[in-house]
Amino acid sequence: MRLFSGRISKKTILLFSCLFLLLVQACYAADYDQIFSDANDAMGSGDLPAAIAILQKVKPDKGDDSGAFVRSRMQIARLQFALKDMNAASASANEVLALYPDNSEALNFIASVKKEQKPRYVVFLEDCLRFLPQLLKGAVMTITLVVCIIVISPLGGLLIALGRISTFKPVSGLCWFFIWLFRGTPLLLQLFFIYYGLPSLGITFKPFTAAILGLGLNYSAYLGEIIRGGIQSIEHGQMEAAKAIGMSYWQAMRRVIIPQTYKRLMPPIGNEFIALIKDTALVSTIAMVELMRSADQMFNAYFNVTALILAAFIYLLFTTIFTFIFEKIEIRAGIYENR
Amino acid sequence: MKTANQPLLSLKGITKRFGALTAVNGVDLDVCPGEIVVIIGPSGSGKSTLLRSVNFLEEIEEGSITFEGNEIGYVKSKHGRRHLDAPAKICELRSEIGMVFQHFNLFPHMTVLGNVMEGPLTVQKKSPEAAREIALDMLAKVGLSDKRDVYPATLSGGQKQRVAIARALAMRPKLMLFDEPTSALDPELIGEVFDTIRSLGKEGMTMIIVTHQMGFAKEMADRVIFMEKGSFVAQGTPEDFFSNQMEHDRIQSFLNRIM
Repeated sequence: MRLFSGRISKKTILLFSCLFLLLVQACYAADYDQIFSDANDAMGSGDLPAAIAILQKVKPDKGDDSGAFVRSRMQIARLQFALKDMNAASASANEVLALYPDNSEALNFIASVKKEQKPRYVVFLEDCLRFLPQLLKGAVMTITLVVCIIVISPLGGLLIALGRISTFKPVSGLCWFFIWLFRGTPLLLQLFFIYYGLPSLGITFKPFTAAILGLGLNYSAYLGEIIRGGIQSIEHGQMEAAKAIGMSYWQAMRRVIIPQTYKRLMPPIGNEFIALIKDTALVSTIAMVELMRSADQMFNAYFNVTALILAAFIYLLFTTIFTFIFEKIEIRAGIYENR
Repeated sequence: MKTANQPLLSLKGITKRFGALTAVNGVDLDVCPGEIVVIIGPSGSGKSTLLRSVNFLEEIEEGSITFEGNEIGYVKSKHGRRHLDAPAKICELRSEIGMVFQHFNLFPHMTVLGNVMEGPLTVQKKSPEAAREIALDMLAKVGLSDKRDVYPATLSGGQKQRVAIARALAMRPKLMLFDEPTSALDPELIGEVFDTIRSLGKEGMTMIIVTHQMGFAKEMADRVIFMEKGSFVAQGTPEDFFSNQMEHDRIQSFLNRIM
């Protein structure tokens, strides 16, 4: 009995001590599971401070379960970060680093807290610098398009205007139809038709050609009507006086009538060209990478609204410069009226 | 070769209609070289339309225009319908006949010199130097050499009209048409324009002048024509015309109203 009991007692002690350790460990594990589950519930109900308080029950000195401690402190740090309490968030991450100086999660977290603690304008400027090269590339394409259309559309518009006022019916009818068509349908539709629609008829354009064609036709139609109005606003006596000294109709147009329209045409044409700067954004839909498309790409890649703000500023810069230039041209074109 | 008594301009049966309205109704007129013809008459009597017809600014329905012995301006198509000659031909004819308008119609975007140079430069394709030479001569003739570099907007009405006369003269026309050249002017500015026209007359320029200035008609005209409702009602020397010898009620009442 004694022997039996003594033998048993040795083994039993060993067994029980093992069981006890397992039990203690299980108890602790169960305890942490409960804490994390409670914290999750608190977060689920939106009470972040409560969740932090619950998570703080996990202590570093309880046993050797370092995983639970690190997990709890990083969770606390993220919650404090979400609550914009950056100092507390850093402190929580530093608690982890005090025990485990190499913990990469805590190190990364500290870095992002530091970034967040920078003044907002510094972050904004850094983002600007990050996005600017790509946006400027797009802006160069936008300006290329605008300049091409500024060269093409007044010429096209002038032809259409002269055609419209022609007494030769087929020509004036054709020009009327052209204006009716391109002014009466959305520019976006015209671009789609040229880039996506015409290939089915066997006509394929590169994106740039399609963009120039679409914008050029559309703006020629608009400018055509503006220029026609300008020509017809010139007093009839001017044409008669020109004819009376022996000028032909075309000489009179070139030398007398059209030069007098410049000043009158500057405000409406300036308006059209400012609209044009913004309308070039539409060609981003036909695989052209210009300012709008670049901004959109940046925005989608980083989900950072700074790209859009920066693009808006570049557009504003362009329109401001154009407004200024057109005011100057208008003054110069009308110099004979003042003195 | 033209003979001395051959008219420079001969109009036969000129008729111009605007829809139902007959503005000029079968007018005949011979103008001899060097002659100054003044046409008077109430508004809407067709004076301006007649003048504009001579310069093909109006296309006439009937009649013929003979200039220096040649019938000009109209051709018959294959179907026998008459219409204006080719534009190039019309331009050529117009460059031989100068015209001055009531409202001057100076080119506002060109300087005074530019206005006068424009015809020789663009129409006659003269070099800029030659055109400038001619223009300076003409500006001297109308007494506006000092205004050559200003824009028309800065000139008085009288000065504008003198520039317009210089512009027409720069083409070296054989005939000058004046369509109410002083009607848009303040009374004190009329004199300078008439002085300019008077000096042209002294140089032997052939002129047809539509005006309401009876004093001018009396002084300058070789012949005065009274026009009403598209027809010539009476014509004669200024002496006949203004000395109450013209037995015509309409003329008398018109003159009484205007003078």
